[in-house]
Amino acid sequence: MPIIEIDGKPIDVAPGTTIMEAAQALGIYIPFFCYHPKLSVAANCRMCLVDVEKAPKPLPACATPVADGMKVSTASRKAKMAQQGVLEFLLINHPLDCPICDQGGECPLQDITMGFANPHSQYTEEKRVVEDKDIGPLIATEMTRCIQCTRCVRFGQEIGGIMELGATGRGERMAIGTYVAQAVRSELSGNMIDLCPVGALTSKPFRFTARNWELKHTPGICPHCSTGCHIDIQSRGREVMRVLPRPAEAVNEEWICDKGRFAYAGLAADDRVTQPLLRVDGEWREVSWAEALDATVGGIEHLLREHGAQQLGGLISARASVEELFLFQGLLRGIGSPHVDHRLTQQDFRADAAMPLYPALNMALEDLEREPVILLCHGFPRNEQPLTNHRLRKAVLAGGQIFVLAEQQRDFNYPVTQIVAGAGADVALYERLCRYLEQPEAIAELQGDTVLVRAAQALRAADNPVILVGSGALRHPRAAELLYWIGQVAALAGGRLSWLGEGANSAGAWIAGCIPHRLPGGAASPQQGLPAGAMWASGLKGYVLMDCEPTLDCWDGAAAEHALCAAELVISIGCFSREAQRYAHVILPAVAFGEGAGRYINNEGREQPFRAAVRAAGEARPGWKILRVLGHSLGVEDFAFMELEEVTRAWQRAVGEFPLDVTPLAPFPHCASGAHTAAPLLRMGEWPLYRSDPLVRRSAPLAQQAVARLHPEQAAALQLHPGVVEITTATGKALLPLVLDRKIPMGAVWVPMGFPETRDLGPAMGPCAIASAPTVAAAALAAV
Amino acid sequence: MLSEQALTEIARERAKYPEDRAQSALLAALRIAQEDQGFLATEVMDYVAHLLGIEPIRAYEVATFYSMYDLQPVGRHKICVCGSVSCFLRGSDQILAHLEEQLGIKVGETTPDGLFTLREVECLGACLGAPMMQVGDRYYENLTKDRVDSILAALREGGDDVG
Repeated sequence: MPIIEIDGKPIDVAPGTTIMEAAQALGIYIPFFCYHPKLSVAANCRMCLVDVEKAPKPLPACATPVADGMKVSTASRKAKMAQQGVLEFLLINHPLDCPICDQGGECPLQDITMGFANPHSQYTEEKRVVEDKDIGPLIATEMTRCIQCTRCVRFGQEIGGIMELGATGRGERMAIGTYVAQAVRSELSGNMIDLCPVGALTSKPFRFTARNWELKHTPGICPHCSTGCHIDIQSRGREVMRVLPRPAEAVNEEWICDKGRFAYAGLAADDRVTQPLLRVDGEWREVSWAEALDATVGGIEHLLREHGAQQLGGLISARASVEELFLFQGLLRGIGSPHVDHRLTQQDFRADAAMPLYPALNMALEDLEREPVILLCHGFPRNEQPLTNHRLRKAVLAGGQIFVLAEQQRDFNYPVTQIVAGAGADVALYERLCRYLEQPEAIAELQGDTVLVRAAQALRAADNPVILVGSGALRHPRAAELLYWIGQVAALAGGRLSWLGEGANSAGAWIAGCIPHRLPGGAASPQQGLPAGAMWASGLKGYVLMDCEPTLDCWDGAAAEHALCAAELVISIGCFSREAQRYAHVILPAVAFGEGAGRYINNEGREQPFRAAVRAAGEARPGWKILRVLGHSLGVEDFAFMELEEVTRAWQRAVGEFPLDVTPLAPFPHCASGAHTAAPLLRMGEWPLYRSDPLVRRSAPLAQQAVARLHPEQAAALQLHPGVVEITTATGKALLPLVLDRKIPMGAVWVPMGFPETRDLGPAMGPCAIASAPTVAAAALAAV
Repeated sequence: MLSEQALTEIARERAKYPEDRAQSALLAALRIAQEDQGFLATEVMDYVAHLLGIEPIRAYEVATFYSMYDLQPVGRHKICVCGSVSCFLRGSDQILAHLEEQLGIKVGETTPDGLFTLREVECLGACLGAPMMQVGDRYYENLTKDRVDSILAALREGGDDVG
């Protein structure tokens, strides 16, 4: 092992270590701009030049590997001259506009200039000016400030997986940009803001609103997917100002996705509720908590008296904390209703009894990147769990193979083998894969299925391959059949099942018993309740909703709306009122993102507590307190909690230690095949990245447009042209702009969920018709 | 978008490099595309990137780095006058000024008849014959104003190579 000396301190390091890494291990600071431990070494800023004994010139610490006996000085005259020289050159073209620069106060260039620069510049000529680029609603550019460290470029190439920024031009004319005017599309693009060591790339939504030193930092957990990224919620007074990643090597390393970073902007939505709302004679009135609680408790008691507890259902989102989930099911079951569920996006619950204690990755996120063979079943983690997707990408870059079975082609940001079923024929894909796994000798004779055969061979050859069940599998209208065959695939391939949970607290929701068939901890519920979909179909008389908008969040928004509007009593506990006002009778304001405390359990089974960053807005109350008061008022036993910790302890007592590795409780049953939708055209719906929950839907910088997507040949066959089309289902119509997209299979039209525009269409997957929109309607839409 | 011949040549260049090193063929592929199309429009660069299976921005980076790639249409004759040290000491700035006057355009422009584009470029490695310029594939060295005039006249006559 080479022994080197830096500033007189000896250190014994592994061969191949760079001077930078050795110095950091010793706690010696060497200034740098372009170096980043997660990115390749570019050595182009030259800020880390150090003086190495016997080397004629100063050497860049980030790119120089140590050699035995090396003596490095970071503060000799030679090193200092090099540092001053580099800074003088970097500052030649950098504007001295720190007072109006958003990076001011958190700017490495500012800090390093203060610490290392010669106070005088010899430069008297004109500075260069670089045109700013419009790269979308998230990142503001001020390219004259750029020092060409290329961190953003390398991030796109190496981490984001789509290279969108590049360095064009040469010498003095070199500039970072996209060359052609376009918005960056990477779902991880916000990280470039953090990486930029100057004020060239700053956050557009946050810009000019606060200075770094005014902000209070509160550690938090991201509520937008099951990865459970660690975040730093930065606030001023009662307002969340921005969200940044918090380093957590085992979870999100030091990145977060744009959804987690910019969803907070939705807190400013104009329909945020901060005062209880009561519907009186069809009009909404702001009322006191006492009045609202009286109405709620009175309404529930009346319903129980008149119709019995079987007529009350409870739906809660998987973004609620375990404490809220635990109290929610406790409240419902305490007053006698078994109908409680959190799986709003799902429709087929026939496999419920066999499901594991909770869907989980069954391994650490870090281990995922070392898996050699993965079969991803119906999921697109780039949309659904962006930072878990990052681990899958690392697995592929390390030589792993990923096969994807899905209902449509998708833009993965790493090479995968995609095997796509024809519209509505997903189940058959898994059946065929099983056949190839079962009879390898028959494979040679099979024609036309070469890719699936290749997947079968890779799975057979692999030792214990990962069969990763994506969120799309559970959302499938024939999920139970898919699960049966996925179970068969796992058994035949000698693989293990692993799950990609959908919500931030999907695991917590299962463990806390917010499912109709199991109690907290997983014991079977003595009284089997109705799952989410069936609650709509049964047309209950009353619903309690928590942190969800069923009309947009549910697999069949039209059915949800129908059932809710027909109900006698709908209590909506949440942060926003626009959707809720369509069907609710009472709206109880709950705290929003950043205002509440609790804990989530992520997809690894990792328990992650978080606390409030800011005070609740207006009269909003923590969800657990609202549930406690309701439970107490309705006479539910053991609901006299005073502190959140008491709820946590009650939950822990009820659940006990939960395992990190979970397997199905029984083999998945072979379900009779559901009604095969033999429609000429199938509506395929999914929640786009920024439409998946009430908060992100309201984030202005993440606004997405609802469009319909159709294969160009399918469009030609239907004689449709880009423009506005009208989609019709059994329950409603939608007018949407048509986009041609080769990734959509023939026989299907992709129509997104989570938009008010598509709410009336109903099921996420089902028959539909499409036609050119009537001209008047199209013109009206175009005008909007 | 490109001719059959250009596609064949690009495929030949591509085959010279390992499977995961498509970018290595980019310089040659862009040159072939430019010879085929006259200049590198954004769509042409996108197409070349698509052929090699790399992101378009990588093609933009390379094409904007080298002065030999033209991102805008150029005249039939591209006159590249060396402005580096040796040529400058031997009066390249006067040669350039003379060309501007004779052609009636500024550096970087193209004559209205589409015949000439004038460029100032960095050293072309012919210092021995400074001042020098390149027109098409050919170097013209030891330039004087008279010699420039006769070269221009011959090029106007229709020659491509007017030694």
